[in-house]
Amino acid sequence: MAAFGSGAFGALPRSGPAERVAISGGGLCGWLAACLLARHLPHLRIVVHPASADEETRPDRSLGVPLAAEVLLPGDLEHIAAAGLRGGDLIRHCRGSFMLGTALTGWRAAGGPAFVPFGEIGAPLGPVPFHQIVAAARARGHDVNMANYALGALCAQTGRFAPPRSDDASVLSTLSFGLAVESDALRRLLRDDALAHGVQHGEAVADPASLCAAADLVIDARGAPEAWSENGGEQGGEDWSALMPFDRALVAKRAEPGTPPPPPPPYAHLSALAEGWQGFVPLAGAMTETLVFAAAAPPAEVTGALPEAHRLAPGRSAAAWQGAIVRMGAAAQQHDPVAGLQLHLALADVVRLIALFPANADCAVEAAEYNRQWRERSDCAFDYTVLRLARNGAKGAVWDRLRAAALPHRTAYRHDLYAANGRIALHDGEVFETPGWVMQFEALGIRPRRPDALAMTVPDMAITAHFEAIRKAMLAGVAKLPPHGAVLAEVCA
Amino acid sequence: MSEPLRHPLRRIVIAGGGTAGWMAAAALSRLCANGTTRVTLVESEEIGTVGVGEATIPPIKTFNAMLGIDEDAFLAATQGTFKLGIAFEGWHREGESYLHPFGAYGADIEGVKFHQIWLKLRAMGIPVPLADFNMAEVAARMGRFDRPTGDPRSALSQLDYAFHFDAGLYAAFLRRHAEARGVERLEGRIGQVLLHGETGFIEALRLEDGRLIDGDLFIDCTGFRALLIEGALGSGFEDWSHWLPCDRAVAVPCARAGGAAGPILPYTRSTARAAGWQWRIPLQHRTGNGMVYCSRYWSDDEASGTLLANLDAEPTGEPRLLRFTTGMRKQPWVKNCVALGLASGFMEPLESTSIHLVQIGISKLLALLPDRSFPAHERAEYNRLTAIQWAQIRDFLILHYKQNARGDAAFWQECAAMPVPETLERKIALFAGTGRLFRYDDELFTDANWTAVMTGQGIIPQAHDPLADALDGAALRDMTARMADAFRRTARAMPFHADFIARHCAA
Repeated sequence: MAAFGSGAFGALPRSGPAERVAISGGGLCGWLAACLLARHLPHLRIVVHPASADEETRPDRSLGVPLAAEVLLPGDLEHIAAAGLRGGDLIRHCRGSFMLGTALTGWRAAGGPAFVPFGEIGAPLGPVPFHQIVAAARARGHDVNMANYALGALCAQTGRFAPPRSDDASVLSTLSFGLAVESDALRRLLRDDALAHGVQHGEAVADPASLCAAADLVIDARGAPEAWSENGGEQGGEDWSALMPFDRALVAKRAEPGTPPPPPPPYAHLSALAEGWQGFVPLAGAMTETLVFAAAAPPAEVTGALPEAHRLAPGRSAAAWQGAIVRMGAAAQQHDPVAGLQLHLALADVVRLIALFPANADCAVEAAEYNRQWRERSDCAFDYTVLRLARNGAKGAVWDRLRAAALPHRTAYRHDLYAANGRIALHDGEVFETPGWVMQFEALGIRPRRPDALAMTVPDMAITAHFEAIRKAMLAGVAKLPPHGAVLAEVCA
Repeated sequence: MSEPLRHPLRRIVIAGGGTAGWMAAAALSRLCANGTTRVTLVESEEIGTVGVGEATIPPIKTFNAMLGIDEDAFLAATQGTFKLGIAFEGWHREGESYLHPFGAYGADIEGVKFHQIWLKLRAMGIPVPLADFNMAEVAARMGRFDRPTGDPRSALSQLDYAFHFDAGLYAAFLRRHAEARGVERLEGRIGQVLLHGETGFIEALRLEDGRLIDGDLFIDCTGFRALLIEGALGSGFEDWSHWLPCDRAVAVPCARAGGAAGPILPYTRSTARAAGWQWRIPLQHRTGNGMVYCSRYWSDDEASGTLLANLDAEPTGEPRLLRFTTGMRKQPWVKNCVALGLASGFMEPLESTSIHLVQIGISKLLALLPDRSFPAHERAEYNRLTAIQWAQIRDFLILHYKQNARGDAAFWQECAAMPVPETLERKIALFAGTGRLFRYDDELFTDANWTAVMTGQGIIPQAHDPLADALDGAALRDMTARMADAFRRTARAMPFHADFIARHCAA
C-alpha cells in the first residue's frame, strides 16, 4: 500500500494534517461524505466536484442502483444524530417514514409471508438465547411464530409506532427502528447542510486522479465502474455475478392517492418473483418500487421497459483506499440491493473515514486499517445478501440455479452452522447481530435441525410461561402507542 | 424438520478436579435437571492441583451470577479480597510504575473518546495524569473499595472489579455447589483412555483400580498432562514461546503484612525482575507470591532466591516449581473431547486470564453443547472462537514484554527486539500514530485496557485524533478538572478495603 501523498496517483509528499479534501461525484454518496466530514472535522476545506457537467440530470448511481427511496438502519440513525443532523428534519424534508423491518413474501417454500424486524426478539431465559428456546418448543411439537415476540413486528402489524422516549422503562424502550427517506431529497438536504458548513462546489472533473494535485485526500463517490475484474476492471477486483445474477433494475415512485394520502406502513415489503424480486419502500404520501431481474430472462411484463432499466453489476474493488484516493459507496462495492444496505454501506464508509481521518501526511497505517474494516463489513453484507438470494425457498428456475450454486466457505459456514444447531457465527464487521440473522433464516424457511441441548433442559411449563410473559408485556406496550401516521403528522406539523 | 432428543448426551465425564474441573462441573450441573444427562467428575486426592492463578478479571462476576452464587458467601469461603486492577512495577523502565485498572477512563465528550481528550490537553501543555480519571485506579491508590452503584450519574458507576481468592478453596466451594445439584464425584486415578476402534472417539476411562467410566462427552481437565486431548487424541500444540519466552514459575505464600489488622491492597502487583516478573496477590489470610521467569536467563535457584528476597513478610510454605510452555492446543475440541484449563494450553497469569479462559471455554461449550451424533459444526465453531479469543489475550500479553525500555538485562532486550504478531503490530502502529483503538471480534480487552498498558509501557501517541480538534480546549480543561474532582471525592468517601471486607465478607 502506497503511503498517503506519495502513492500511485502522483500527489507530492507533504507534511502537516490533511486539510484539503476533494470529492468526486455530487450524488448522494458524495454529499453524505461532504456533510458528515464538514460537521465532524470543521478544519477541513472540502470541495465537491461533479463527475460530469450534466451530472444533475443523470440518475444518481453513487450508492448503486438509483433507488427512489433508501433506508437508514437503526444504528445509522445514531451516526446521523452524532453528526448533529436531526431525525425530524429528515422526516420533514425527505418524506421520511419510520421503518421497523421488512415483510418477505415468497421467500420460503412453505409458511406464508415472514417479517424480519429490526431489534431484539423475545428475551433470553437465563443463559439460553430466545431463538433456542423457540427451537426447543418446536421440537416438543409447539407451533411458534417467532415474529410474535418481536416488538417491531407487532408494531408493524398494528400500524402503531412512536420512537421510544428516553425515560421509558417499559418494554417499549427496546424498540429498534430505522427510517425510509426519499433518495433525492436526502441528497439535497445533505448538500444544503454541507454548503452551510463551508463545503464548496467545484468544477466538473471526470477523473478523480486529476484532483490529487490540489487536494490532500480525494474521495471517489462516482458510483460503480463498468467492470470489477477482467475486461477493464482493476486487478484483484471481484465479480460477484455468479451469486448475485440479477443485472437490471427498474425503479419507480408513485404518489399515494387520496387527500390526505393514507399513512405509510412502517415497514418495507419484498416479494420473490419467478425471475427476480420486487421491493416496496413506503414514503410519506408515496410508494417506491424496485424490480430487479436478469436482462437475459426478464419478467414478461417488463420487456417493453427494458431500455429504461438501470444496470446492476455486483462486485467489489481490491481495496477501497489506494494512495490518496478513497473510493466510497458503489465506487468501492456494489451488492444486489435485496437486503436494502446501499445507504448503510456508504454511511459506514464515511463514518469509518472520520474515525480514521489521517492526522498527518503519512496515512499508510490508516489506509490499511480502513481497508481491513471496509472488507470485513463488505464480507458480512455479502453473506447476508447472498444467503437471502441463494438459500431461500422461492420458486423459479433462477432460484433453483442459485440454490445449487456453491457458496464461499465463510458464507456456507454461517448457513450450515445455523441449520445444524441454530448457532449464529458472528464476525467482525457485522451489519446485523444475532436477531437479524435469526429472523432472516426464519424468513427463508431455514430452521435448526437440532435444538440446543441447554434449551432442552428448560421444562415445557417454564417455556410457556416465558412466552406468555413476553407477549403480554409487548402487547400492553404496543397498545399504548399512537398510529404511525399520527406521529409522522405531528413531526411535520 | 428438527430431530429432537434422538441422541441427548447420557453422560458427561470430567477428567480431573481442580479449578477447571469443578468450574465445569458446577456449570454443567444444570444439565442434570433434564433427567437424561449424568455429570461425573473423576479426580484423585493423590494428584495435586496447580491452582491456576488466584487473581481474576471482572467477567468472573458473570460466571458466579450464572451459578447463582452469593458474592459475600463466596468471598468468605475462599479467603477472597477485591481487585481493582494490576500495578506494573518496572515494566517500562526500572523505577517506573503504572496501574492497569478495571473499568473505563473518564467519559467520552461529544463522541470523542476520553483518552483523545487527554491527548489534546497534553498537546495544549496541560499534562493531566490519565490515572486521575479511572474510578478503580483512584480508589486503588487510596487502598479503598466500595461496590459500584447502578446510578449512571454517579462516578461510582464507573467502577469495575474482580477478586483475589484461594483457587483451591474456590474449587472446593464449587464442588459443594455441583454435588448438591447432582454431579457425581469418583475418587480414582485415570490409568487408560479407551478409544473406539473405528471412530477414534473416547469410549471410556479405565481407572487404575480397573473401574471403567464410560461416557458420551469427555472434558479434559487433567492439567499440563492433557491425558485425553493430547495423550489419547493427539490434538497438537501451537507453541508461542518465541513471543512469550518465560517457561517456569515458582510460587510461595507468605503471611499477611501487618498481621490480621494490616491493610489489604485492592490490587495485584506485578514487578519486573531481571529475567521475568514477580506477582503479589493479597488474600484475607495470606499473600500469594510467585516468580514467572525464563530458564534461558535464570536458574531455578536464582529465581527462588530473588522471590524469597522480595517478600513482604515471612514465607509460610516451601517454594513450588512449575514448568510450562506457552501456547495452546491446536484443537481444544477433538472428536468427543473438550479440553479446559491447563490441558487446553497455557498463558502466564500476567493479566490474570487463566480462570477466565476456563470460563469462556465453559460458556462456549454450553452454547454449542452437542448431542451424541457430535456434528462437526459445533466443534469447528468452538475451535474457531477459541483460537480467536486466545490469540487476542496472547497479543495483549506480548505488548507488555515488547514495549519495554529496560536496557538493564539481556532478557528484556531480547523481548524488545522480537518480532510480534501482525495483529499486534497493527494495533501498536494505530495507537502510536493517533491513539486509535479498534476492538475486534468482541475481544475481552477494551479500549481502556489497551490504553492503560500502551501508555504505561511508554507509547504516547504522536498526535490526537483530528476529531478532538473541534472541541474547545478551555472548556475541556474545566470539564476534566471537575471530572477528576468527582473521582477523587467519590474515592475518599469509600471505606478502606480491609474494613469493607471485615464488614461484608470476612472468612
